[in-house]
Amino acid sequence: MAVQGMWSGTISFSLVAIPVRLVKAIEPGRISFRLLHNKDYSPLTRKMFCPKGETAVPPDEMIRGYEIMPDQYVLMTDEELESVSPERSRTIEIVEFIDMKEVDPIYYDHPYYLVPSKGGEKAYQLLVEVMHRTNKAGLAKFVLAEREYLVAVTPRDGALALVTLHYSDETLPDEDISPKKGKDAAEEENRIKKNIEQMIEDFNPGKYADERRKKLMDLLKTKAKEKAPVEAPAVEEGEGEGPADLVAALEESMRKVKESR
Amino acid sequence: MAGATIWKGYIHFKDTDVAVKLHNAVREERIQFHLLHKRDKVRLRQQMICTYEKQPVPAEEQCKGFEVEEGKYVIVDPEELEQTAPESTRMIEVHEFVKTEQIDPIFLDRLYYLEPDNPEIHGKGYNALVRALKEMGVEGICTWTIRKRSYLGALQARGKMLRLNALRYADEVVPATSLGLRDVSLSEKELKIGGLLIEKLTAPFEPQKFENEHQKKLQEMIEKKARGEKVVVSAPRRLKPTESDQLLQALEASLKKAA
Amino acid sequence: MSRTFVEMAGRRLPLSNLEKDLYPSYGFTKAHILEYYRRISPFILPHLKDRALTLKRYPEGVENDFFFEKRCPSHRPAWVKTAEIPQEDGERRRVCLVNDLETLMWAENLASLELHVPLARARSAETPDSMVFDLDPGDQANILECARVALTLRDLLSRMGLASYVKTSGMKGLHVYVPLNRKETTFEDTKTFSKAVAEIMQKHYPDLVTAKMDKKYRKAKVFINWSQNDASKTMICVYSLRAREKPFVSFPLEWKELENLAGSGDPEKLQVMTSEAVSRVEKKGDLFQEVLVKKQKLPHL
Repeated sequence: MAVQGMWSGTISFSLVAIPVRLVKAIEPGRISFRLLHNKDYSPLTRKMFCPKGETAVPPDEMIRGYEIMPDQYVLMTDEELESVSPERSRTIEIVEFIDMKEVDPIYYDHPYYLVPSKGGEKAYQLLVEVMHRTNKAGLAKFVLAEREYLVAVTPRDGALALVTLHYSDETLPDEDISPKKGKDAAEEENRIKKNIEQMIEDFNPGKYADERRKKLMDLLKTKAKEKAPVEAPAVEEGEGEGPADLVAALEESMRKVKESR
Repeated sequence: MAGATIWKGYIHFKDTDVAVKLHNAVREERIQFHLLHKRDKVRLRQQMICTYEKQPVPAEEQCKGFEVEEGKYVIVDPEELEQTAPESTRMIEVHEFVKTEQIDPIFLDRLYYLEPDNPEIHGKGYNALVRALKEMGVEGICTWTIRKRSYLGALQARGKMLRLNALRYADEVVPATSLGLRDVSLSEKELKIGGLLIEKLTAPFEPQKFENEHQKKLQEMIEKKARGEKVVVSAPRRLKPTESDQLLQALEASLKKAA
Repeated sequence: MSRTFVEMAGRRLPLSNLEKDLYPSYGFTKAHILEYYRRISPFILPHLKDRALTLKRYPEGVENDFFFEKRCPSHRPAWVKTAEIPQEDGERRRVCLVNDLETLMWAENLASLELHVPLARARSAETPDSMVFDLDPGDQANILECARVALTLRDLLSRMGLASYVKTSGMKGLHVYVPLNRKETTFEDTKTFSKAVAEIMQKHYPDLVTAKMDKKYRKAKVFINWSQNDASKTMICVYSLRAREKPFVSFPLEWKELENLAGSGDPEKLQVMTSEAVSRVEKKGDLFQEVLVKKQKLPHL
């Protein structure tokens, strides 16, 4: 297994702790584009720049800051951030189990998978299997980077899926826009039901994705035929820039090679 | 209060048309950090750098390329991409209905409220559709386009409301089977005790019980630091993983504790 | 479409269109291709292992369009191992790892004739485990000129204390590999070093060698392409087929053999086809084995 995790820690329920890593469950669609420079068709890379300097700032020279006044920041190190909720930054503690059917889809935010780290395989599978058999999901809170998430951990095809949930105060009330009680419209309702009856199918989201992709693929194929693809120039720095030591050693070796021929 | 109206249109299938207004149903608030340069505490700016010139490239000089061979690209401009998107319409077109329980939750994306538009004229249809969906236990798989972007979604009824739950495209969902998990054998005893434990720890879903406590603590820490007070750094708690051969024991102890 | 099922290590793999001739001017069907890769698998798999595969598929044969794909197709079977690799633009890409025979057969069933892999493994995508010199003959030059350059390159590297290994590209050129296998080495190191080497070669053999990418300098010369030493670049894997009129293979040669062949004056003799590849590797073993294990440090960096 070579999936690289974006977070690693443990997931626990009661006295059982399982080492896990978090991986993506959603990847951008299969057709992906690269950002290029329209002058030379070279790929672009994302870099952070300091307005005062000319060069990109490497990650170890960056720090998070919270703006308290214009251009005035309170700095926060990773260690400080982790110690805001030290009990949650490396542990997903399931506090209770729930029936996923009770969770209004309004709470669903973003899904991930958890995969077991070495030594955690057995307890991991137990949790998957037992939740699957009892039709339950685990509810937990954990902190990732700067944010605390309420999450539901559910079994899915033999794996643990982790869905971040919105907090209840993030959901907006709907009373102000909900319909006034209308007159009974039994006739209308029956007509709609008949319509629906004729349109019932099995859930198969795959067919919608294909259509979108096909259109794009057709466009790309046509374009590739019409015009040769563009190619970026090779990255070529000026000559003779090799380290002086190396160049001297190479010259010396080259002289010997020629002598021995 | 629900969010402002994002879009107006109508739900359509067969000979049914229901006029609706689309509203946000979720609003997120979070503490926002910026990335600074350690040395001079100046806010960093993200820039796209040309790998050839090693220079920042302004947005108007960026284009999208599809790699057809190593280092070779077909350039696609935004107008062409737009052509592949379905035309903007005022319609939420329902293509089919599926049983609610068939919709795999991993597909669920953002949710929107649908308010009846012109209820004097269309209110009847709106309420009838709510009742029909609820009684039949189905949701309508539909597509719509807002600002040249097309969406896939499920039209659902909840309470008195119609709602649109945007769905992710199937080619974006990573199948769990691709994680390559190995099968480990479990004893019936482990499964049984595990099951009992879960039943013991089960509670109704009450989202209002959960607050974003971290957000408050973080705010406090920021204020403390802003006053120039020292902040104590503590190491994150790390739990000792349960060894495989201790699993049954841990489950039994858990069950005892829960009882 | 015809379909056959094979069972390997308990995994059921459907194979399709086995009779389809993918090298029509020579006559080499998908069944031949699968059979070649099956027999060469003990030798090619160690070189593919844990590396992000770039799929180059020729479903309609070598004379037609191919499909280029770095992302692992979402229709892959569950047992195909994958890895996520961070990209320069901040995205992560899920790629296929060909770590076993089943995955190799699956890829070949998709008509991925050419198997291209990076010089680094997926879990350490910024650490090259070898340095490469991609010798590419320009117009009016051929593989014999490449051989002369490769032999000089070998001598020069050897004077610098570095052992090197050579293989045919299966097209018109040669690839010289310098094993490193040290986690401290970066692509910046291999690029700096290989560029300096290419420029010294150009300086001393201006009529034979160019270190410049620009095609106008390449006529009748051998281009030493050092820029392949990059995390974003891939090389054709040793023992991989090439999509040419005949089923040529990228094949390792002994330096002695290259000396002899370079003297023969016949460029055709340097090319190795599938049947010869299998019999030679089964007799002599993997001449590229050292590339995977030999630890060497680039001096003077």
